[in-house]
Amino acid sequence: MSERIAVVEDEQNIRDNVAFAFEREGYRVDTYGDGLTAWEAFQQELPELLILDIIMPRMDGLELCRKIRSVSENVPIIFLTSRDEEFDRVLGLELGADDYLCKPFSMRELLARVKVLFRRIALGREATSGPEEELLRVGNLELDLRRYTARWGQTTIGLTVTEFMILHALARRPGHVKTREQLMNEGYPHDTFVSDRTIDSHIKRIRKKFVAVDDSFNGVETVYGLGYRYTEEPS
Amino acid sequence: MKLRYPSRISLRLLAFNVLLVFLPVGGVLFLDTYERHLLVAQERTMAQEGRLLAAAIEAYDRFDGDDAQRILVQLEQRHLARLRVVGLNGKVVADSALLGPRLENGETAVPAGETQAASEKSLLYRLGSLPFRLLRGTIRESGSEHDTDISSDLLSRPEVQSALDGRYGAATRISPAPRRSVTLHIAIPVRVEGAVEGIVLVSQSTGRILQALDAVRLDVFKVFLLSLGAAVVLSLIAATTIARPLARLRQRAGDILDRRGRLKGGFAASARRDEIGDLERALAELTRQLEQHLRSTEAFAADVSHEFKNPLASIRTATDMALEDVEPGERRRFLGMIQKDVARMERLLSEAREISRIDADLDDEERTVVALDELLSALVESFRLRNADCGIQFDLALADAHVGVEASADRLTQVFENLIDNAISFSPPSGRVTVTLRTAGDTSEVTVADEGPGIPDEHRDRVFGRFFSYRPDDDAGSGHTGLGLALVRAIVESYGGRIEAKPRGGGGTKMVVVLPLAGR
Repeated sequence: MSERIAVVEDEQNIRDNVAFAFEREGYRVDTYGDGLTAWEAFQQELPELLILDIIMPRMDGLELCRKIRSVSENVPIIFLTSRDEEFDRVLGLELGADDYLCKPFSMRELLARVKVLFRRIALGREATSGPEEELLRVGNLELDLRRYTARWGQTTIGLTVTEFMILHALARRPGHVKTREQLMNEGYPHDTFVSDRTIDSHIKRIRKKFVAVDDSFNGVETVYGLGYRYTEEPS
Repeated sequence: MKLRYPSRISLRLLAFNVLLVFLPVGGVLFLDTYERHLLVAQERTMAQEGRLLAAAIEAYDRFDGDDAQRILVQLEQRHLARLRVVGLNGKVVADSALLGPRLENGETAVPAGETQAASEKSLLYRLGSLPFRLLRGTIRESGSEHDTDISSDLLSRPEVQSALDGRYGAATRISPAPRRSVTLHIAIPVRVEGAVEGIVLVSQSTGRILQALDAVRLDVFKVFLLSLGAAVVLSLIAATTIARPLARLRQRAGDILDRRGRLKGGFAASARRDEIGDLERALAELTRQLEQHLRSTEAFAADVSHEFKNPLASIRTATDMALEDVEPGERRRFLGMIQKDVARMERLLSEAREISRIDADLDDEERTVVALDELLSALVESFRLRNADCGIQFDLALADAHVGVEASADRLTQVFENLIDNAISFSPPSGRVTVTLRTAGDTSEVTVADEGPGIPDEHRDRVFGRFFSYRPDDDAGSGHTGLGLALVRAIVESYGGRIEAKPRGGGGTKMVVVLPLAGR
């Protein structure tokens, strides 16, 4: 059975193109032009993954996300945003989006993210530990490379897929400096048009999420003029 | 803490006030003229007394010391000056000073000198009179001929010499310090049968006059000191009420721009009710509007960039798909989509440019009285021709003719073209677009009505906002940027008019444009 994806986007061209691309990959796609129509449809049945635009008539993406989260905490949600500020709002409101891409986004990048999110869900159903588990441990940090999840000590940190990929790139070689460009390539492997400011805001959010759990977290260090590095704290 | 220098305005105020105080002081100089008049009057009086005495002596037809003495005694000291009668040998034959004090007080040199000395004791007087004493010293000394001539030999005195020659003689002498006083000496010849036989000497101290004048000077000086104090206090008050708030405003103005020259914060509105308060309020309003303008410009730039993201995303996804291994028909569809989105971005750019420049452009435009009825007739006719085959019907109802509006014809055309275009795009097939014109009072009212779906109440005010587009059943790439109605509103409002969206009875939307009539 193929997974059902819902695309809620008021721009018809984007809606059609995304639907076309995902259908080609074998997904079942439902498209909606505004949040309210989508929400009415979701009352009947919730899709397995959602791709949401933020600014939409009648009900915007943030409102829709909030409503969906009140029904399901696990259904993966990817936001398509056209402003950096919206980006911050999604995270600031702790809406629990699993990922977000900035317009204009790369279709291949979107497809890759959706695949990662479906894998996360699928592996989440399995036992937490198994022989094929791939874990990266650096001090208190533990990254599950198959599920794209992160833990700090015993606490799970809700990272988006992009944040996970950037953190993984840094933590893989602690002490080594990664330039913004390198991080862009790691964070957006299928997209070459990402601004380096985007990396800065991702780093900011990663820090915030860890500091929320541990005040003394200082793992992601800025190296002025170069980029960032992961510092392994004495554990 | 920064060192506080007195502000330039404070210094200027102080200078002005102090200068004003000095003006009455200058008036003291006029007292010198007054003094001269008084001295002349005194001399005349003395000369008269002297002449009377001389005449009385001459009446005896001989010059005799006893006669003179008798006359002086008979006068009983009712004269004003000291009178002496001197013989040709220089001997004093009669002297009123030896007969006892004169009746009037304060006229002898001695008591006058005493009072003057008393007032001179005052530090204030000495301080104040210093410049005058210096001034007087130079003038007097040049004016007196032999001020050091104090020889007891009366005959050697210049006035006595003139009298001996048969003329009238007068001289002023200053008795030396410490008891400095000015005495006026007059010598009048006594003639007996044509020959000078003796001389009448009249002398009187000018002390009384000078003393009175000095008292006036002292008063003026006191007033001067008081005024000076008042001037300083007033200047300080003026400085605190004018210069200080101005300095604060300047400080605030400096703080408003940060190092990068960006506006941050503004002037606090002042509760002062004077001109400085007005200035503060004007500046507060200025910065508020500037900030608002900057904010709206920034918001507009953000809106434009946001509006670009959608067609860009559409183009990018379509490009991605067109590059995939898809059927030729699909590829054509994607390329067509890209083409439309490029056109849309182009239109967005030009409209954004136009709307951001509309205010400046409208100011430069030449406005004429445009006949609205003619403009609408022509416009509707051209729409009829252009949309002949789409089945939409155009109705024009002109309730009034010769409706003049002061505007640019091009801009008005743009307004109504936009509105009619909108109406057409919302109209169902073979719908009806109705344009009406009527006047009410000093305004004209144009309505453009369609039979479309209408605008939901919650969006009715927002349709004129920038980038707001409510097209529920819009097909992709129809090219509506959400700027059209914003542009219409900007134009209408710049002509002092207003625009409203109202529901049309029986479904649809009615756009009402109200413009002031020309010459009303």
